[in-house]
Amino acid sequence: MWLTSKIKQILMVMKPGIVTLDYPRQPAPAPATFRGQPVWDHHKCLGCGGCANHCPARCILTRDVCQELRVMLYDGSRCTYCGRCADVCPEEAITMSNNFQTACDDKNDITTRLELFMLTCQRCGRCYEMEKTNVIDRMELRGFRYDNLESRALIRQTTDTFSPETLAATEQYQRPSR
Amino acid sequence: MRKELEAQLAAQLRDEVVCVEKTDQRTIFIDVKREAIRRAARIVTEAGGRYMCGVGYDNIARDGTLGMVHTFSMDRNDHFICVRTKVPAIDPVMESITPDLPSAGWSEREFMDMLGMQFTNHPKPKRLVLADDWPAGIYPLRKEVPYDLVPPGADDVAYQLDEAPPGTKIVPIGPFHPSLHEPEHFAVYVDGETIKGCDYRGFMTHRGIEKLCQTQVSYNEVPFIAERICGICGSVHATAFSQAVESAGGIKIPRRAEYIRTLMLEIERIHSHLLWLGVAGHLIGFDTVFMQAWRVREQLMWLCERLTGNRKTYGMVLIGGVRRDITPEIADDIRAVVKKIEEELRVIHRAIEKDSSIHKRTKGVGTITKEETIAWGLIGPVARARGVDIDARRDHPYAAYNDMKFDVPVLTDCDVWSTLVVRVLETYEAIRIIHQVLDKMPAGPIFVELKDKIPALRHAITTVEAPRGESTHYVITGEDNRPDRWRVRAPTYTNLQAVPLMLLNEQFGDFPIIMGSIDPCFSCTDRVAVIDLQSGKASSMTRRELEFLSREQLHRA
Repeated sequence: MWLTSKIKQILMVMKPGIVTLDYPRQPAPAPATFRGQPVWDHHKCLGCGGCANHCPARCILTRDVCQELRVMLYDGSRCTYCGRCADVCPEEAITMSNNFQTACDDKNDITTRLELFMLTCQRCGRCYEMEKTNVIDRMELRGFRYDNLESRALIRQTTDTFSPETLAATEQYQRPSR
Repeated sequence: MRKELEAQLAAQLRDEVVCVEKTDQRTIFIDVKREAIRRAARIVTEAGGRYMCGVGYDNIARDGTLGMVHTFSMDRNDHFICVRTKVPAIDPVMESITPDLPSAGWSEREFMDMLGMQFTNHPKPKRLVLADDWPAGIYPLRKEVPYDLVPPGADDVAYQLDEAPPGTKIVPIGPFHPSLHEPEHFAVYVDGETIKGCDYRGFMTHRGIEKLCQTQVSYNEVPFIAERICGICGSVHATAFSQAVESAGGIKIPRRAEYIRTLMLEIERIHSHLLWLGVAGHLIGFDTVFMQAWRVREQLMWLCERLTGNRKTYGMVLIGGVRRDITPEIADDIRAVVKKIEEELRVIHRAIEKDSSIHKRTKGVGTITKEETIAWGLIGPVARARGVDIDARRDHPYAAYNDMKFDVPVLTDCDVWSTLVVRVLETYEAIRIIHQVLDKMPAGPIFVELKDKIPALRHAITTVEAPRGESTHYVITGEDNRPDRWRVRAPTYTNLQAVPLMLLNEQFGDFPIIMGSIDPCFSCTDRVAVIDLQSGKASSMTRRELEFLSREQLHRA
């Protein structure tokens, strides 16, 4: 029995032969339906922040610099490529490309930053006020979130309030070189 | 069934039963006073209940209590029985049920660590989940503890191993070991080559996914995080979580979505079993099986890439349905691929089924009896290879399994070889189910919009049969568009507790394959995402530097 099993095993191995692909010398493109690196179309983006609200990895961040200027920032180093942002975008401004080769030595290479000019509300303009009482900030309290660029850096110590010093320490941290 | 049990409880416990609540066809919640918890658990076990898991939750803000739920499954008549009790937070003491039900040991130890509960008469009240240097008195699952708390570490504490039996030597296996694949620590007590006992210290990669999901994200983000609990059976966790929330919120999802979930679960089962077959071959030093099983598996991974957009972590399941539809073209694609896999798997099966060198390594190894299997509440292929006929797909049908015809292979040899055969046979059954799903799939929508808010403080429990056994999820809905409590009990959590028993009086050289035979998934058990650490010059760093470096890596990633 042992010998017949071994013969069967040899045939099992011989038939398919070598199946290893010659990647990367021979490119292996991903299928069209692949969920790869998301691409933003700044012509279509409204700046509604829906993607930021639904991103499980919190890698899409929104911040109002002033009344007219909103920054949308996609931090590809934290992205899990779930494609939820592309699902919820009302303007279809986000497409999941089939680019999967995103390894790079600088995380800014896979970061997308959109600066959107927003119209001010003609009635009162209060939605865009930079204070804690406005409508958008209140969304945060009800289980919706509205991320800001400060929370982007994860800080080692737990602090009640945001501290710029710890952020600077985290941002400027240099990996020890060999 | 419910009436009988209720009568039994009423007769034996009298006024210690607070109330009995039935939320749906399947689930019965029994509230008892804390003095009666052990007796209630015993009555449910005698009535045929199989212990699934314990769930502790923090209710301090509402009525100053901590809640504890012991969940049981009635496999013969499709019921889940949840025995609930609560203890005041200032005096969180209750009686342990572990002396009666050994598989409750970990659940109780987990909530000693995480919620500060105390269980009297627990046979092994040691730390399970928390790190050894975690300060006493901080209970991370309590609501007042912030989710990102990082208390200072300490270098001078270590886990105290169980006392070694006299005349034995300790062989440490892990935290990093070639046969474990994930960081866990076993101390194996050996007498010569024979294993006389073993102590386990795991949860080294515990990262608090439950806490994160209870405090930071919203309902429909949790499925994506749930999927990352496990690198192999991700869809299982996403489906189980979604089903639990749907059950709690009374959401009815379209039938087509249920069929697509079934399809994804079965695809996952095929690729998991093929992966396991390869790993098992590798663990007994037979890498031909490893290479060939993984070659066969690869085409399924490519199929998933075309189908869902990713090889793994499909991201298909949401609360309310699924995200991508199955078009007729992709259905033909699936049929062709699974047909080819079936043919190629049969070739592998025929080539190894009579190989005496594999038999010598696996037959009669890792033996435990059927009675022990039932006593420890083992599940999945591990139980089915020991004559215990349970399968959540048949016993508690979910998704579209009530329309499917399939066999549940059960063997009675009680050893590692029969777990191998059970898994191969299950793969054929999974292929059969996939063909049925594609043939019977009804037309219609795949997603239902959530119109109403999901009501708060509803309890729900679901199980999903993962490739390794059933995954149990318990959800308490919350107010802030996120669960108030979400408990994940992965199959390895139960099966791992019985490994010391399987190892007893075996040869030390068989440790890897006995361990491997339960298809251990430590990351499921720890509920983590696996993080690869950058390789550094470890020898020239102190532990603190290394830890800081790895944390920094984590923050960058």
